[in-house]
Amino acid sequence: MARGVIDLDRLPGRERMLTPRQRGRRREESLFRDRAPAAWKHVDLVLLATAATVSVLGAMMVLSSTRGTDPDVYDLSYLRKQVLFIVIGVIGMVLITLVDYRRLRDTAWLPYLAVMVLLALVVSSLGSERRGSQAWFQIGAFQLQPAELAKVVVILGVAAVLAGADVPLRLRRVGLALALVALPTALILLQPDLGTALVFIAITMGMLLIAGARARHIVILTAAGVIGVVGVLTSDVLEDYQRDRLTVFLDADGHDVQAEAYNSDQSKAAIASGRVNGKGYLEGTQTRLGFVPEQHTDFIFTAVGEELGFVGSVTVLGLLALMCVRIWRTAQIARDRLGMLICVGVLSMLVFQVFQNVGMTMGIMPITGITLPFMSYGGSSVIASWLALGLVLNVHMRRFG
Amino acid sequence: MNDPRHREGHVPRLRLSIVAVIAVALFASLFTRLYELQVAGGADYQVQAEANRVRTVQVPAPRGRILDRNGTVLVDNRVAVVVALDRSQLDELDDGERADVVARVSVELTRAGHPVSTDEIEARLTDQRFSRYAPVPVAVDVPEDLKIYFEERADDFPGVVVERTALRDYPYGPLGVHILGYVGKINDEELAEHQDETAKPYTLNDEIGKSGVEQTFERYLRGTPGMRRIEVDAEGDPVRVISERAPRAGDDLVLSLDVDVQALAEQKVQQGLADARARPNRDGSRNNGTTGAAVVLDPNNGQVVAMASYPSYDPNLFVDGIDAQEWAYLNDPANHYPLNNWAIQGQWAPGSSYKLFVGYSALMAGVMAPDTVFSDRGGYQIPGCTGIKCYRSNAGGAAYGNVTIQRAITVSSDAYFYNVGAQFWLQRDRFGGDDGMQNNLYPFGLGERSGIALTGEAPGRVPTPSWKREYNERVDGDPVWRAGDSVNMAIGQGDVLVTPLQLANGYATFANGGTRWVPMIALRTERYQTGEVTHEFAPEAAGEVPLPPHVRQPIFDGLVNVPISGTAVRAFSGFPLDQYPIAGKTGTAQVDDKADTAVFAAFGPAPAPQYAVAVFLEESGFGGTAAAPVARALFDGLSGTVPLQPAGPDGFPVGDAEPLTENTGGSYD
Repeated sequence: MARGVIDLDRLPGRERMLTPRQRGRRREESLFRDRAPAAWKHVDLVLLATAATVSVLGAMMVLSSTRGTDPDVYDLSYLRKQVLFIVIGVIGMVLITLVDYRRLRDTAWLPYLAVMVLLALVVSSLGSERRGSQAWFQIGAFQLQPAELAKVVVILGVAAVLAGADVPLRLRRVGLALALVALPTALILLQPDLGTALVFIAITMGMLLIAGARARHIVILTAAGVIGVVGVLTSDVLEDYQRDRLTVFLDADGHDVQAEAYNSDQSKAAIASGRVNGKGYLEGTQTRLGFVPEQHTDFIFTAVGEELGFVGSVTVLGLLALMCVRIWRTAQIARDRLGMLICVGVLSMLVFQVFQNVGMTMGIMPITGITLPFMSYGGSSVIASWLALGLVLNVHMRRFG
Repeated sequence: MNDPRHREGHVPRLRLSIVAVIAVALFASLFTRLYELQVAGGADYQVQAEANRVRTVQVPAPRGRILDRNGTVLVDNRVAVVVALDRSQLDELDDGERADVVARVSVELTRAGHPVSTDEIEARLTDQRFSRYAPVPVAVDVPEDLKIYFEERADDFPGVVVERTALRDYPYGPLGVHILGYVGKINDEELAEHQDETAKPYTLNDEIGKSGVEQTFERYLRGTPGMRRIEVDAEGDPVRVISERAPRAGDDLVLSLDVDVQALAEQKVQQGLADARARPNRDGSRNNGTTGAAVVLDPNNGQVVAMASYPSYDPNLFVDGIDAQEWAYLNDPANHYPLNNWAIQGQWAPGSSYKLFVGYSALMAGVMAPDTVFSDRGGYQIPGCTGIKCYRSNAGGAAYGNVTIQRAITVSSDAYFYNVGAQFWLQRDRFGGDDGMQNNLYPFGLGERSGIALTGEAPGRVPTPSWKREYNERVDGDPVWRAGDSVNMAIGQGDVLVTPLQLANGYATFANGGTRWVPMIALRTERYQTGEVTHEFAPEAAGEVPLPPHVRQPIFDGLVNVPISGTAVRAFSGFPLDQYPIAGKTGTAQVDDKADTAVFAAFGPAPAPQYAVAVFLEESGFGGTAAAPVARALFDGLSGTVPLQPAGPDGFPVGDAEPLTENTGGSYD
């Protein structure tokens, strides 16, 4: 990434050093910029390969955690669906990279509005409830979770609003960005789904920081965020069991939280019992026998921990970290502020979700319904992950013009 | 230059760095936690994960059998039908159906003679201590018809499982029941006591030895339960069997008992008591003949060849649980506690049979020399004592003239021994102090438990001045030891108590030349039904009694003459004493407000003894009249004079019982 920084800074100087012939070719290329054949040459293959690897690992672990309890019989139905989701996600990613992200900016309001309508509908009688949270549309055999897609459209929308703003950001601009976030966050809290709502706060804070919000605005917003979270926890928005689940990690020996502590205990037991080398792929007993609730979705990392051990877990976390590094680098080398904001939005989302999700499986974060991007089972999550990745790849491949 | 980065200088790059720092910190904390869980502290969680998934179900193993010294099976196993309920199947039914099944099972069992209420069934079904992975038994040993009934109507009785189990079987009925003991369902205390048992762990439904060798040799007899390790899922539903270890039967236990001698002993004790009850005493009083015991030991190693206790009970009562009425009967004092093994739990004054030990003590201490002649004029005036209690007469007032120790034993001269007791006390400065007499009794094992591998053994009592002081301070009696106490003790009266086993073992010790063995009941264990020896129990010496010939011989000669010319002459009339000399001693112990305890102790054949015998018959009259004939009948069998009859299914020798020798006149003691 350091090289990228240097390249960009020296761009004018280097251009001066080009021979006339080289200069001529460059001009020639720029003539075909709109057809952008050159953009494909700048695809971040490392990021793409990393995301693909993580997806494949995720699918493998989904099989592990959904194959059924009988050691000799394999239920492949979840795996098939997950592969289908990945394929759809990859197609969506390709589609997103076809259009220059600067053009996406102009039409960002459209998907934003569409998803907001979905979010509004999902808390109406059209949505389906599961585990106390009304977050799904049942469409045939599939479920659509609009909150996942909302993350992508919000990143795009906020980036669009902040990209052209004066620095430091004026209060009005900050307010506009917050309004864009507040609407989906409020709708998601109605489901209620605190975990996903928190992702929006992380995305907003990251993007505001990079967009050049004043330090005092950031401090005030942070304080407001903390107060907000505490407010939600102490209000009646959440069901009791949801509150217990969120606070159990603070007070494991506490009051009537046995069922929630069970969740956390089994999750930790699964990961820790994998030791250094793991019990072997498809050999995890906690995983196969279903001791970790919601393992194929929110607790997919426990399957990694149990079956692949420290070595495998470090590999998976390392791959996710590498994705973050590449996205961060893309933010740095993006050719404009819009691209940088998009990347930081995606980065914030990814870092927060990984930390929150993996952290909760290891008992250092509260248990909230939040997926591990690319790995957790679920169409909405997988597709949203790949769409977000498409945005970053879009920025990266068009960094030169 | 409308690129914001260039317009705004390096502010975004600084802020990007802030984002990077936060991201690195968050990932670092994840890696740290991962290391903490998986590398630093995974072991505990590994155990937890394993415990999560594995449930162990025990499969009961048959108990080892119990055999007599010749391999005759005394306690066997038989197959019985158990009706059990499978909870997981029952739980799948709806409430009404479930209650209906339980109700109908209750009706069927009750009709078949195994009354069980629905409440009782429900209580067992909800008892969490029963394994979730095995059916809960509700009735054991039901008739075979019921098994067929349930099996044919399996669809009408969902969740009802008919299984087979091994139950104890007693081919000889009550024979040896006090030694064999019985088994029963483990109770909460026993379960708690055995909770650390790892090789043969117990579950709530297991049987355990409750008394006798079933109890004391539990760890050999108990089989090693089979273990079925089941993998369960998060709901606790079984997924598969991970591993299975077949149950292994317990070892057979080979006892030192001889079933035929045991049958004879039980029969003769019962006969002796019956005869005593039928025979009025000389003063016209009745003998109640309440309890009795006989012990036959091998003096060369302490092996118990027979041990009879009366009254007895049927161990089959305990198979599949005893009912309250039967239990109440066995514990009613009016029935003289059939559960007690009177051979080791009964404590009686030994009367004159004690004279062997007191005579030995007198010779060892020098109170008497072997040839010291004492003039027995039919009574004894305690020196320096005034009052009516100071003159003690012989039983029946007989006077035996000048006697040495040998003759004093043969004729059972009380006066001789009164004098011994009195001299021991009056001249205690010369003869070993306060406990001079007692100190030479202890080596025979008197006053302490013999250490036989049976529970409940009583210690007997050798009274001493210090014992008397302590005892009477507690009960507010006379705490002072007087010459009269020593005089009483010298003839096995007063506060002296022995158990039949103790007396037999004391005689055995004298018989074998002075080695006191710990009486042993079990010879070895063998692998179930194969005869392959797995463990041998070696004889164990508890001590040595010094028996110099000049001390042993006159006592020995005195004992040998008891059946020839002494107090047991009538009981042994017709017995081939010239081929099979018997050294024995009668005893008649007086008990306040009761008829006398009849005692006889002996060993034979006298020169190289093979058997030592003690017989106690409570409230039965004279030893020579009631107890000696029982011992004689035993020696008839042991010597082969009267062929031993094989034991029959009722526990007695087959055929009609030979009457005991009549000995209704003459000797008193």
